Amino acid sequence: MMKKITALLLALIMVLSMAACGKEEPDVDTGAKTEDTTKEDNTSKEDNVKEEEPQADTSDAKEPVTIKFSWWGGDSRHEATQNAVKKFEETYDWITVETQYGAWSGWEESMATAFATGTAPDVNQINWNWITSFSSDGSAFKDLNDYSDIIKLDNFGQSFLDQCTLAGELQAIPVSLTGRIFYWNKTTFEMAGIATPTTLEELYAAGETFKSVLGDDYYPIALGEYDRMILMVYYLESVYGKPWVENNQLMYTQEEIQKGLEFIQSLEDKHVTPSIQTILGDGAESLDKNPKWMEGKYAGIFEWDSAASKFQSALNEGQEFVVGEYLPDMGEHQGGYAKVSLAFAISETSEHPEEAAMLINFLLNEEAGAEIMASERGIPLSKSGLQVCKDKGLLNETVTEANGKVLSWVSFPLDPKFEAAELKSSDGTYYDVMAGLSYGDYSIEEAVTVLIDGINDVLSN
Amino acid sequence: MAKKASSSTLQVSSTKSGLKKSLKRNIGFFFILPWLIGFLVFRLYPFISSLIYSFTDFQLFKGVSEVGLMNYEEIFASKKIMKAFNVTFKYAFITVPLKLVVSLFIAYILNFKIKGVNLFRTAYYIPSILGGSVAIAVLWKAVFRDDGLLNTALGFFGIAGPQWLSDPRYSLFIICLLRVWQFGSAMVIFLAALKNVPLDLYEAAAIDGAGKGRQFFNITLPLITPVVFYNLVTQLCQAFQEFNGPYIITQGGPRNSTTLISLLIYNSAFKTYEMGMASAMAWLMFIILTIFTAIAFISQKYWVYYSDDEGR
Repeated sequence: MMKKITALLLALIMVLSMAACGKEEPDVDTGAKTEDTTKEDNTSKEDNVKEEEPQADTSDAKEPVTIKFSWWGGDSRHEATQNAVKKFEETYDWITVETQYGAWSGWEESMATAFATGTAPDVNQINWNWITSFSSDGSAFKDLNDYSDIIKLDNFGQSFLDQCTLAGELQAIPVSLTGRIFYWNKTTFEMAGIATPTTLEELYAAGETFKSVLGDDYYPIALGEYDRMILMVYYLESVYGKPWVENNQLMYTQEEIQKGLEFIQSLEDKHVTPSIQTILGDGAESLDKNPKWMEGKYAGIFEWDSAASKFQSALNEGQEFVVGEYLPDMGEHQGGYAKVSLAFAISETSEHPEEAAMLINFLLNEEAGAEIMASERGIPLSKSGLQVCKDKGLLNETVTEANGKVLSWVSFPLDPKFEAAELKSSDGTYYDVMAGLSYGDYSIEEAVTVLIDGINDVLSN
Repeated sequence: MAKKASSSTLQVSSTKSGLKKSLKRNIGFFFILPWLIGFLVFRLYPFISSLIYSFTDFQLFKGVSEVGLMNYEEIFASKKIMKAFNVTFKYAFITVPLKLVVSLFIAYILNFKIKGVNLFRTAYYIPSILGGSVAIAVLWKAVFRDDGLLNTALGFFGIAGPQWLSDPRYSLFIICLLRVWQFGSAMVIFLAALKNVPLDLYEAAAIDGAGKGRQFFNITLPLITPVVFYNLVTQLCQAFQEFNGPYIITQGGPRNSTTLISLLIYNSAFKTYEMGMASAMAWLMFIILTIFTAIAFISQKYWVYYSDDEGR
């Protein structure tokens, strides 16, 4: 009998523990559960405050609040953000911030699920196109205009805020702007006996030189599928002087896009860039982890200005990494675009939007926060944040140089749907077209048709 | 008064005993309750809701705007999806027989009295524990990349190895190999079955002059067919649901040559948020798998030997 009772009890405990597991999730989202668990710590905090300030007005006595904050990035960003969060908690001692962070890989998928199910953290680092993808009607993020008394919006240019405004709501605060630019491994170019290219003609010539002087394994630049797509748009905008998409319409004709794809293919044909098959055969997860980049066999990239440090630090010792120039002989116009690299948004489901807004303001506008964050998320757009970083010499030199070149060159807008998952993901249209062309599965004409159809599908959706 | 009290005591005692009996009768239910709750919430509910979603155009951030058979129509019209089904069939038909043969072969060897056999058994089981992880992806890439271990080894013999990971002709083979390499669990089951084959049958066969090969095909194999059948069905189910291998090593590439249907379902659901389409693909896969399993079950009467069945 005793055994049966024990077994029954154990079964009940298991059931209850499962129920507890199930319950934890919604609590996490609202912060209610975490609030409970941290209440003890915060009660003591609160008591301390009360002891120190017995005369404080009741309106100043703050209830302990717990908010959640999520972001993706690399180790250095994680470290800086955690330090900034710690500082924030010290400054606003009734607020506890729980952090969720990780690498980009798989992050978008998990956050999409969180936003769709209303279980996202209070404050979120978001990709610019998430506003369009997840909240085209403003249902996923709070309108930050409502918190303008907390977040100093006049620290940001109106045009930047407009880029994060959809459905009449300011859905996120832009952190920085970014664009693609060339970076070169100067050491490899020196080995080949030539200078880093400053014109398209020089880039073509470098392909031939690399092949004849250094060998078949050496290429002036390595371009993955998405890199090729962005480079093609940059090329076409330079030649034709019009944005890629405007008013939800693709602005380029079949013939014009064909010219763009021919340009991309010519880079492969002239040994400027390795084929997609060669890059995949290297077995690297990404270009910065590719041994051929580390060794200098791939001597260039066309990358985001904010990605400079990642690629620079990946190089083997003794190699010089330099920021390149835009190629003026591509066309008569200054092609390319800059976009909001990432932004901070508050989930619509947040129960503590004011505290969340305080965290955003602290990270971007307040001296203590901006100082710790520095250029971990690119060159700050916040005027006060940028000033702090400049005054204290906190900005990464390479990133600053690259960002300066991007912003002074590019002149075209970017439609957020350019980055739609149907186009940009590894089984999306861009990858299909660029890899299909490189593998020889598509003729140029077929590739043009597939690309246009894919883009029009997204634009019409 | 005393009578009344005694009757109420009787009533209480009979209620207690009724409760006790009912508890005794239903105690099993309490034991399976944790599993039951898990099953209802994490299996049955998604199972039914995915069937409903499969007849809608449900998108994660847009909801449902259309109901009908459009997902199923699109599946049959889409070259990409048809290719994924084709790749999945290839994958299953390569890995299942290969894994059964390899695991049976290794189990057969490990059934002999070899020195340090326990060490070998453990060593052969380890890949199954590792499963599809980042470490395995790194290992596989290190072996099969253009200048990886395999091509370097081939180079010593003057052979220029192919581009295993990036050539669509070979990439599926690399993914299949990962699955076959993880033969540990099937091997353990085979090993248990081999141990149950009566030794006197071998002795009798040896006296009659049967060699090892003959003994294997005429004694061992027929007697372990129930286990072969079990492994066949489980491996078939696992192969059709394979996700980790292609996801961590090739992400479905190159040129969709390793895009199994499970990967496409994942991409559809979590990259482009087309839950309705993902559900439809999952249901089609479920139906196909059910058909194959049914065929396996029907076919067993022709080739599986059950000793309590007086022969075939």
